[in-house]
Amino acid sequence: MSSLSGRLLATNFGSPPGVTVGDKYVRSLWHITYYIGTPLAALVVGLIIWCLVRYRVKPGEEHRVPAQFQYHIPLEVAYTIIPLILVAVIFGFLYGGEDKITNVSKNPAIKITAEGFQWGWRFTYPNGHQEQGTYQAETNINSVANLPVLYMPANETVQIRLISDDVDHGFYIPAFLFQRDMIPGVNNVVDLNVTKTGTYLGECDQLCGVYHSYMRFKVDVMPPSTFNSWMSSQAPHSITNAGVHQ
Amino acid sequence: MTIIQDRPGPQPGAPHGTLVEEPLTEFVPGPRPRGWVKFITSTDHKQIGLNYMVTAFIGFLTAGLMAEGMRTQLIAPNNHFVTPDIYDQLLTMHGTIMLFVFLGPFAFGLANYIVPLQIGAPDMAFPRFNNLSYWLYLGGFIVMTGGFLTNNGAANFGWFGYAPLTNAIHAPGPGADMWLIGIALTGFSGIFTAVNTITTVFCLRAPGMVMFRMPIFVWNQLVTMFLVLLAFPVLTSALGLLWADRHLNTHFYEPGGGGQPILWQHLFWFFGHPEVYILALPYFGVVTEVIATMSKKPVFGYKGMIGATLSIGGLSMGVWAHHMYTTGAVLLPFFAALSLLIAVPTGIKFFNWIGTMWRGTITLNTAMLFTVGFLAMFLFGGITGVVLAQPPLDFQLHNTYFVVAHFHYVMFGGSVFAVFASIYYWFPKYTGRMLDERLGKLSFALLFIGFNLTFFPQHDLGLRGMSRRIAVYDSNLGYNFLNALSTTGAYITGIGVIPTLINIFKSMRTGAIAGDNPWDGQTLEWATSSPPPDHNFESLPPIRSERPLWDANHPDELTRVGH
Amino acid sequence: MKIEWRTILGASLFLGIICAIYWFWSTEDTGTALLLFGFAAYLMLGGYLLLQWKRRHGIPRSEDKEDATYAETAGEHLGFFPAASIWPAGMGLGGIFVGVAMIFGNWYWVIALPLILGSVIGWSVESEAPEDVPDEVEAARRQDTNIDPADIADTDAPAHP
Ligand code: HEM
Ligand SMILES: [Cu+2]
Ligand SMILES: [Cu+2]
Repeated sequence: MSSLSGRLLATNFGSPPGVTVGDKYVRSLWHITYYIGTPLAALVVGLIIWCLVRYRVKPGEEHRVPAQFQYHIPLEVAYTIIPLILVAVIFGFLYGGEDKITNVSKNPAIKITAEGFQWGWRFTYPNGHQEQGTYQAETNINSVANLPVLYMPANETVQIRLISDDVDHGFYIPAFLFQRDMIPGVNNVVDLNVTKTGTYLGECDQLCGVYHSYMRFKVDVMPPSTFNSWMSSQAPHSITNAGVHQ
Repeated sequence: MTIIQDRPGPQPGAPHGTLVEEPLTEFVPGPRPRGWVKFITSTDHKQIGLNYMVTAFIGFLTAGLMAEGMRTQLIAPNNHFVTPDIYDQLLTMHGTIMLFVFLGPFAFGLANYIVPLQIGAPDMAFPRFNNLSYWLYLGGFIVMTGGFLTNNGAANFGWFGYAPLTNAIHAPGPGADMWLIGIALTGFSGIFTAVNTITTVFCLRAPGMVMFRMPIFVWNQLVTMFLVLLAFPVLTSALGLLWADRHLNTHFYEPGGGGQPILWQHLFWFFGHPEVYILALPYFGVVTEVIATMSKKPVFGYKGMIGATLSIGGLSMGVWAHHMYTTGAVLLPFFAALSLLIAVPTGIKFFNWIGTMWRGTITLNTAMLFTVGFLAMFLFGGITGVVLAQPPLDFQLHNTYFVVAHFHYVMFGGSVFAVFASIYYWFPKYTGRMLDERLGKLSFALLFIGFNLTFFPQHDLGLRGMSRRIAVYDSNLGYNFLNALSTTGAYITGIGVIPTLINIFKSMRTGAIAGDNPWDGQTLEWATSSPPPDHNFESLPPIRSERPLWDANHPDELTRVGH
Repeated sequence: MKIEWRTILGASLFLGIICAIYWFWSTEDTGTALLLFGFAAYLMLGGYLLLQWKRRHGIPRSEDKEDATYAETAGEHLGFFPAASIWPAGMGLGGIFVGVAMIFGNWYWVIALPLILGSVIGWSVESEAPEDVPDEVEAARRQDTNIDPADIADTDAPAHP
């Protein structure tokens, strides 16, 4: 619970920190929504509580009939126009940020294909090397040891093509504050630019059948030089199966 | 039997005076069956309305039990209370029953019972179609729930059944078909009810009940029914295509055969978003009535309120793809703009509700408590809705527990609290007896605490990255405590329903006698006996404002414009 | 009547505009088709009401008049309100069995069809129950229709002054 209140009150304004370049757009939207939403909610709740406390019938005045007023045009116009402006402000902010997040670059540093299937992941690199793994290797949901791994370089634009051949899946990495669906027949391409090296957990977040909960993967974000040497050590069209010892 | 309307005029010299005494309608009485025969054959809108509401409440209890099952599974990480497959079945049927069997049809029941009374009509326009739609609805409920009795179990692909997970390969067996046909049956029932309600409101109003004198509840039901008329045919045809894919080897949603899975998403959400408002607008109407009555005031900004309802209805038809932001296949700014715009009329409603309470004489009884609960919870759900309406934030939160928390705040904290408010408010009209206030307040306290304990922590779970619709979760991700809290809340919520159930059974027989008008009501349903007689009214006050009964009872306290 | 058709044609217009914007901006077919369907559906409904209104030459019905009295509608034929009927239940059961046939096989049509056909027949025969209109009411009704349009002000205007 302490972390919950911390999450709400600390400078994060709701969101945990993200590790991609998109983070600052997401964060700015959280901020603007908080700045607008919190006072507004406080005002509305305050007014409701005020009404209940102040105008609640006291013993003995059950039959008092209050003044029967009904319209106040200036007031009504005000509470139509002001929200309209606030909403326009939010829209202005998101219109800019959203473009930055969905934009795909013409010449990314590397292109990777990520395929979701029932129930596992397959990541294909430009030279045909594949990293893959299924739920069967994942003996226990409490362990991430045998999950398939998506390797990628930090601070570079990594372009990922998201495909699926059977049912809908979802490519979701909480720490990236980002997800995109994998839908048969829809060609989805996303750019990721991660600013912090490390290992992150990814999950399928689109219900895709019985073992959906087990359909997870790891993302290993490495310094570009490390990534390059890893890449060159992978033979073309080789396959690494997670949790299976070669 | 034909009714010949024979309505006496208001008594001369008393424009807002006493009720008119002569009989209002003359009709040749037909057979008046009782018991089971009455249940099956009655065309009385009040009987059918009650049938709807009771059945819907049974749906609520059924789906609520499923929810307790799911929450029990999630009480601890890597738990094995149910298998993942059973979890998916519970999940799907919980969602489907809550929406298609409980929340929507309960509002249809209210439309049936209350709308004709509030506009001074003797019945619905098509009483026999009304009876027919109830049977289709009940059949739909039984058919979809029956899936649990089949070998492969009930449907297990979530309430919005994304293709191709629903096709014959991934979802074999009759469970999925029963889900599909069950929803289609309730869909037809909804369309009939919509046609019926619209015709009733347009053609059976009492003399003087012009459109801009109808209670807000009636207006909201009217707009809702127009949404039903648009949304349900789309859903039914989408289900028809799915059925064809499953049984006739067509390929509407099959990627392999030239079809498009995303077509289903468009069709479903073109239904699905208006559906969200079909589940909300009638309940906005309920709380408006309760607030006005319990504050002894006219609805503040009556016309603005109607305008807000109409614009919510209109906008809700242009925002379906905000459920599809993460597909990467929709026009983001268009849907974001329209979705954010809906916040404006919703805000207007809030301020109008406050204006109605302002300087009123507020009776804080159980109906009003649930209404205040509605206001607070719906406000919160609305704000998280504004968060989710922004595509970059939705990319972060879609399909996580944040969304689960959001829509439960809207539908449970919002609409279901209004369902309870409606029960406490109109029960005296249905039965002639009052519900017990002490049990009612106990029920409210438990539901309010339990509900918030269940769903507030889920916002944080979502932000931490717990995705929805998972049957097991990892113990190392910081989800454990919040989930345990949430499940505890779910148990408290479940217990909170019990006092109201006891209350209903007890008060039906032994509650205090209510009389015609226990709340000093303002609208016509309180101008007749409790429960109302066949064809509703012995007499009616003249209708000269949107509060005919108030005008008759408080000739000195008429509505004034401004303050 | 006026507010009724105006509201619905307004909704139709709104959907038409949204549809146009959506089409030009996204060029996506499914959504455009759906919005077009909404536009057309409401156009039909609103148009029908508009025709009805025109047919009455804009004369407000008693429920559209702010100062209508109950007396002036005396004898008006409100509609057919059957007290109870078994046929809707029969038809409903038939409809449910159509659904069951679509799930478990065509065999169930054997149950569904007789139920539906029987109920349709029963229902329509029942509908033809003779109208019990007492003569004097019928006569009053005829007189009542001779309303002079000039007598009736159009009062769809604002509610309480
Ligand atoms: C005691 C009260 C309730 C509890 C404890 C509860 C709990 C849950 C849980 C655990 C889920 C599954 C979340 C997931 O795994 O993704 C869920 C889903 C859902 N609930 Fe509830 N719920 C309650 C009441 C309601 C009510 C009143 C409604 C609506 C009227 C509702 C509508 C839904 C819907 C639509 C879903 C989504 C199903 C799906 O993902 O297909 N719930 N609920
Ligand atoms: Cu999945
Ligand atoms: Cu929506």
